[in-house]
Amino acid sequence: MAIKTDHKTFKGGVHPPYNKEMASSQPIKAAPVPAEVIIPLSQHIGAPNEVLVSPGDKVTVGQKIGGSEAFVSAAVHSSVAGTVKSITEITGFTGAMVKAVIIESAPEQPEFEKKAGADLDAVTGDRVREIAREAGLVGMGGAAFPTHVKLAPPQDKAIDTVIINACECEPFLTCDHRLMLERASDLVSGVKLLMKAVGAKSGIVGIEANKMDAVDEVRKAAEGEPGVSVEVLEVKYPEGAEKMLIYALTGRKVPPGKLPSEVSCLVQNAGTALALYEAAAWGKPLYERVLTITGPGIKQPCNLLAKIGTPISTLVDFCGGFRGEAGKLILGGPMTGWAQKDASAPIVKGTSGVLVLTADAIDVGIEQECVRCGKCVDACPMFLLPNFIVQYTKREEWDKAEMSGALDCFECGCCSFVCPAYIPHVSYAREAKAEIAALRKR
Amino acid sequence: MEMADTMQVTVSPHLHRRDETISRGMRNVLVALAPLGIWAIIIFGFNVVYILAVSCITAALSEIVMRKIMRRPVTLSDGSAMVTAILFAFLLAPTTPLWVVAIGSFIAVVIAKELFGGLGKNIFNPAIFARVVLFFSPLAVYSQRYARPFFWKTTGFFSPVATSINNNVSSGVVYKTLAGNSTSLVTAATPLSLFKSGRLLPGIVTGPTPVGSTWVTSSGRPNVGGLFLGLKSGTIGEISILLILLGGLYLIYKGTVDWRIPAGIIGAFFLLTLVTWYHPVDNLFGGGLFLGAFFMATDWVTSPVTRRGKWIFAIGIGVTIFILRFWSARPEGVALAIIIWNPLTLLIDRYIAQPRFGEVTNPLFSKLPILPKSKPVPAAKSAPEKT
Ligand code: SF4
Ligand code: SF4
Repeated sequence: MAIKTDHKTFKGGVHPPYNKEMASSQPIKAAPVPAEVIIPLSQHIGAPNEVLVSPGDKVTVGQKIGGSEAFVSAAVHSSVAGTVKSITEITGFTGAMVKAVIIESAPEQPEFEKKAGADLDAVTGDRVREIAREAGLVGMGGAAFPTHVKLAPPQDKAIDTVIINACECEPFLTCDHRLMLERASDLVSGVKLLMKAVGAKSGIVGIEANKMDAVDEVRKAAEGEPGVSVEVLEVKYPEGAEKMLIYALTGRKVPPGKLPSEVSCLVQNAGTALALYEAAAWGKPLYERVLTITGPGIKQPCNLLAKIGTPISTLVDFCGGFRGEAGKLILGGPMTGWAQKDASAPIVKGTSGVLVLTADAIDVGIEQECVRCGKCVDACPMFLLPNFIVQYTKREEWDKAEMSGALDCFECGCCSFVCPAYIPHVSYAREAKAEIAALRKR
Repeated sequence: MEMADTMQVTVSPHLHRRDETISRGMRNVLVALAPLGIWAIIIFGFNVVYILAVSCITAALSEIVMRKIMRRPVTLSDGSAMVTAILFAFLLAPTTPLWVVAIGSFIAVVIAKELFGGLGKNIFNPAIFARVVLFFSPLAVYSQRYARPFFWKTTGFFSPVATSINNNVSSGVVYKTLAGNSTSLVTAATPLSLFKSGRLLPGIVTGPTPVGSTWVTSSGRPNVGGLFLGLKSGTIGEISILLILLGGLYLIYKGTVDWRIPAGIIGAFFLLTLVTWYHPVDNLFGGGLFLGAFFMATDWVTSPVTRRGKWIFAIGIGVTIFILRFWSARPEGVALAIIIWNPLTLLIDRYIAQPRFGEVTNPLFSKLPILPKSKPVPAAKSAPEKT
């Protein structure tokens, strides 16, 4: 049963154990530059990138190495100075094969040269969009949707509210929390840029009630900034999901299948707002990010500023290595992250954390027959019927799977979290979505 | 760096709510039922233990054998067979012969559960199903003779007692004990059967009040305290409203049971008895209403999954119980009402719409095709109209 608080929230959802204290007090440290970075060419949702370098080329930090003419795409930049070793296929974090540029880092890594003197108050909204596009910004909470596309909503949909998702509702992760503590004023500048880009009058930073220190910091930084406010949200998963967050903060409901622009909102992750600030103020493309390395299977959990393309193993080693018998290695948070079979995959723009669970901390049950307890239905924040999505997917009755809400499932995992029969709804929902999409194309 | 050779790769989420398993849910139910069983032993003697034991052993054996035959994994450990067996026993009169108990328990597990496809696929609540089958069978007489509370004081606490047919006596029924047929035991009317037979209409007390029935005051009015605490005759599990309430609240607290179902059933029924002034208090506390509302209708498998569906289901049951009690000659009706609504669960889940987040229209019925198509439907090609 949900504990009632005065904080804003949504209906449904779950209360997983948060385990944030493992890493939340660790200041952000720079991770070492690995001998070799593996940079997947396309790290966003949308059109794939063309490779812009060839083996043997010398590259500098922040140099564009992949891009596309297509609007829905995000450029990729080198995260190190060095030499392109090869362009090959690797197994990405989702298990699918992806094209990647492998760059050997030079022994000397020059600091990235910050462009000085940018007048953030003078930039226009159009310029902000351009900056976002040049810097290859994507949503950094995990979805990795190109930011400049979100900043260009349909003409007929005016945006009045920019919402910053600083909930960090995924258990274990603390990188956004640290960013808010350490860089609150830059974050607020980023919020202002976002507001300018879409012409919004108000910007709301939504933070869960378990990060009151961050609330204080950001409130302080936002003082005197017209339109920028901080709201405290109930600690509940998935508070940071786009539609849930908009509802919690504004009471507006995004209709099924529609985007936040439908209700005049734009949602961006806190990390993205910061990256936009860095791109606008310093001319810095998105080639490194802050992420949390944590979990009971990590010796020294911490928050790191790491180069995109750093292999997971480098980061794990830097954090003292594995502790106990590592049983699950997850890229991202425990509710939506991707389990890895080894530590070879590189981190990408959307990687918010590396989580290692020990073998004894894993609760993987055997999938049983659904007992129709209805717990998944109660938990689903989209009010779908997860058990029926599963049932119809099993029977390959795609029209019924769709009517049970398969297409509206955003894979938050609340349903499986509470399912006493250990049914992996998300896997079925993905199958149904793919099938329905394929049927529609035909 | 050491790493396990076998990193587990599974789909997200990678966390699971603590203690959220089927067997834990069943264990919660068993914990909630325990006080009822103990109370029944106090009131009806050790006979209750014999009945429970026979019911459980029969259920366990039937489940093992059936699962072997049907080539399904034996899942006794999930505890669902135990829950079924105990719930079934709780629906019986405390003097039901053990062979009748065994038959019923067998019906519950084998026919109502396994033949329907096992836990999760059954359409009827197995315990209720078996009870209703007995009710309509020639064996009915054995399971609904209600000896009065503390009858064990005459027969001995540990002495087995069973209802038995005997054509030499006028009622045709005697109680068999180790010492032979007992004539000193008195069959007490249950609170509900009393006013059904016209003896307890408000203000008019006709006929004698049953001797020694602790729940009736000397004037023939129900003693509400006795009804509530459980000093009355009835089935094994239904007598103590207090303990049922405590167990039910425990299950709601544990998240095993959704409060909407008992609230809907009891609420709707009580409201109707109030409106018609049809012995509201006796009807509320007198029979199996609470046991059914908290423990039978809330069975996961045979109740709807959506909130809206749960309300419809619950209120439907409440209304049906009222109709059955008001118009039929029988005093009870809880089991029958639940068994009527169990299969409707599938329809409710299918056709009562649950509007998605952000959906503007709020239709009562979903757009699912009324006639289930047996084949996978490629109609999705044209179907995807968005709301
Ligand atoms: S939570 Fe699991 S067992 Fe319960 S209804 Fe949903 S899918 Fe079925
Ligand atoms: S069905 Fe989809 S949206 Fe609903 S709880 Fe499950 S994963 Fe989340």
